[in-house]
Formats: sequence, C-alpha cells, structure tokens
Amino acid sequence: MGDYETENGVPRRSKYRRPRRDISWVGLLIGVALGIGAGLFYAWAVDTRVEYDTEPWQLKPSDRAQYIAAVALGFSYDSNLSRAIQRLVELRPQVDPIQEVADVACDLATTGYASTSSGLRAIRSMMQFYRLQGRSGCADSLIPFEDQATPQVVIDLPTPTPLPPASKTPTPESVVRPSPTPPRVIAPTVQPQSDYIIAAINTFCATGSSGVIEVFVQDFNGQGVPGQAVRARWDEGSDTFFTGLKPERGPGYADFQMEAGKGYIVEMPGRSDPTSQPLVAAPCVTEGGDEAISSYRVFFRPG
Amino acid sequence: MLRFWVSLIIGLVVGLGIGLYLGWVRFPVEFVNSPASSLSQRYKDDFIVMVASGYLKDGDLGGAVERLRLLGVANIPAFVQEVTERYISNSQDADDISVLVALSENLGRLTPIMQPYRRITETGG
Repeated sequence: MGDYETENGVPRRSKYRRPRRDISWVGLLIGVALGIGAGLFYAWAVDTRVEYDTEPWQLKPSDRAQYIAAVALGFSYDSNLSRAIQRLVELRPQVDPIQEVADVACDLATTGYASTSSGLRAIRSMMQFYRLQGRSGCADSLIPFEDQATPQVVIDLPTPTPLPPASKTPTPESVVRPSPTPPRVIAPTVQPQSDYIIAAINTFCATGSSGVIEVFVQDFNGQGVPGQAVRARWDEGSDTFFTGLKPERGPGYADFQMEAGKGYIVEMPGRSDPTSQPLVAAPCVTEGGDEAISSYRVFFRPG
Repeated sequence: MLRFWVSLIIGLVVGLGIGLYLGWVRFPVEFVNSPASSLSQRYKDDFIVMVASGYLKDGDLGGAVERLRLLGVANIPAFVQEVTERYISNSQDADDISVLVALSENLGRLTPIMQPYRRITETGG
C-alpha cells in the first residue's frame, strides 16, 4: 500500500494527482483586467475617437449662444413654444431654459454681436421669446425691445385763411383782418438707417493683386472718405483696417489680403450691414492664362 | 509557469479588445466646448431650419448666411440646397421644407424638386 492510499484502499486525491488544466485562471483574470485597463486608456487618452456627432449641449459657449439665438429666431417665425422648449432642453441648461435665453441675450447685448442689424434682430427675437414667458434680463435695459417708434415732428405751418367772398354791396374794409390759423401737421420722419450701404461688389482676377479685397469708401459725391474702419471676418477671426493708409490709391481706399479658399464677410462695423454673402478667395485664371486668387472691389456709399 | 504566462497573454488580448470596445463604442469620450461645425447632421439640419425660419421672419439674407457660417460649411448655398433636397426626399415636415426652399431659392438654388414647395406671395391689385 502506497503513501497515498487510505486505509480502505481508495487512493486519496492529491494536488499532484489532479489532472492539469490548460489555462491558468488566475493568469487569465489578471490579463483581462490589465487588458481592459490598457484598452480604456488607449481609447480615452491616446487615440480618442474622432468626434462627429456632437449634440447641442456639448457646444462651446459662443456657439451655444448662437444656437439659442437661432432657437429664438425659429420661434419668432412659427410661435411653436413646445418645439422651442424641446430645442432648448437639448442644450441641457443648468437653469430654467427660458431664463438661459434671457441670460444669453444679456451676454450678446454687451458684445459686438449687437453691433449688426442681424445681431440686433436675433437679440430682439430672444427678448420677445423670454418676455412672453414672463422672464426678464439685462438685455431689456440695453436694447430697445421694439424698433424705435417712428419719431414724429409737429410742424406749425402758417396757411392763409381765405378772405370772405366779395359782397355786392361794397362794405368798408374790415378793420379786423383774418388771422392765419396755423394747422398742426404731423410729418413722420424716417427711421435712421445704416450710414453706409454696399453700393457694388466687383470681382476681378489679376496676378498683381491676387486674393485682395479692395475697399472704397466714398461720400455722396463719390469722393473717398479717409479714416473709415472696415472689418473683414472669416471663420477663425476678424481684422479691422482703415481707409486712407494708401494715399496713392485714394483717400477712401483700403485693402485686405485673403487666404486662399476662405470666405470673408466685409462690413463697416456699426455703420453698414455686412456683405450678404462671403467673398470667397477662389482660384481663378487671369486673361493672360496665369493662375491667381479671385479679388474683389467693394464700394461703400452713404445709404 | 509557462501556463500562467500564456493565460496572462490571452487575457491581455481579450481584455484589450473589451477595453477598446468600451472606450470607443459603449462609453466614448464626451467632448465639451465643441464647435458647431461638429454638430451631428440632425442638429445641423435643425439649425438650418431655425435660421431659415428667422430669414422668413426678418428677410435678412445676409444675416441668415452669417448665422449659417457657424456650421463651418465652405459653400453655404450648396449646403442649404443639399439639406433642402434631402428634406424633400425624406418627406420631412412640409413647413420645414417650405422655409428651407424659401431660403434656398433666395440663395439662388431653386431646383425642380423644390418647385412644389415654393411659397406663393399674393400681390395686391
């Protein structure tokens, strides 16, 4: 009888006599744990999945504000409150969604966003939206809600009172002469518009001035006006430049060098509406067959 | 000992796959401070509808284009046309289609498929 036999002759199980498994469960579990950790680290920190399906709540603050403005604009057209609220809820607001509209309108009213007519309209749409829901914000005190009522000027015009018709019997000339009774005439005045309008935008293609926006600010007589600020805006930023810095091109001339492939909105900040469509620096071919970038001439004149 | 190392390597491979699946698919990183250009198509479409509605309200085409620039699209008229035609093809809300067609038309992108959705303006007289 061997060492591993029991008294009854039945062999006792020993770890040395158990059949060996092919897998070490301990090793496998440790491997899986380490693998999951490494996989998560790689997926979250090293090679993060490219973002392509962002939701509104993930927007950066500036774009979030514009999104809210668009919600208000949509509401101003269809007056569909539930739809507007649903759109706002998708922004996952930290406060009452309607109050957030008021807060954002307040922020926008204090920035350059309010310097354009389209920006003002958007802010007024937001004001209309939250006011209808009984909210208020600082935009109420910064921006008149309604378009300014057309101011009226009362002008007293002296109009002669006609003399009574002559009677057959001559009567002595009356001592009392008819006095002019000035009627009150109410003459509406025109709401002030933008100082300048974009009178023309011409495009041209030349290697000598490739991808240039040439701006001409002129007065009523077509004379150049120096010292006028002109702003070009594009995706990543904006630049303000002034007329008159190149006197050889005229006092009202200024120019801006575009980057190929980009689109630019041009305006006189606070004095004109922006160009309705971006001026795109697209490739072009000159009359001589040379390749260049399209250029533009923008003319601003008093509106 | 060899058995342990083989099991560990097998576990690592399996765990790595699970980790990548979790990190990329099930629980991907959620970004914040994202630009509007990365909005999902659904929300881009909704944004265009809102802007087009605003345009119909205020008639400010330049303002509408400026707002749509937020989406980072190079050719805005072509983009509006594409969205409008997709809305029509997918039989989306008729009112939304109507405002999109109006914006697209005023951007010079009125195509035959949009004709039935044009807004008719009554003239006096």
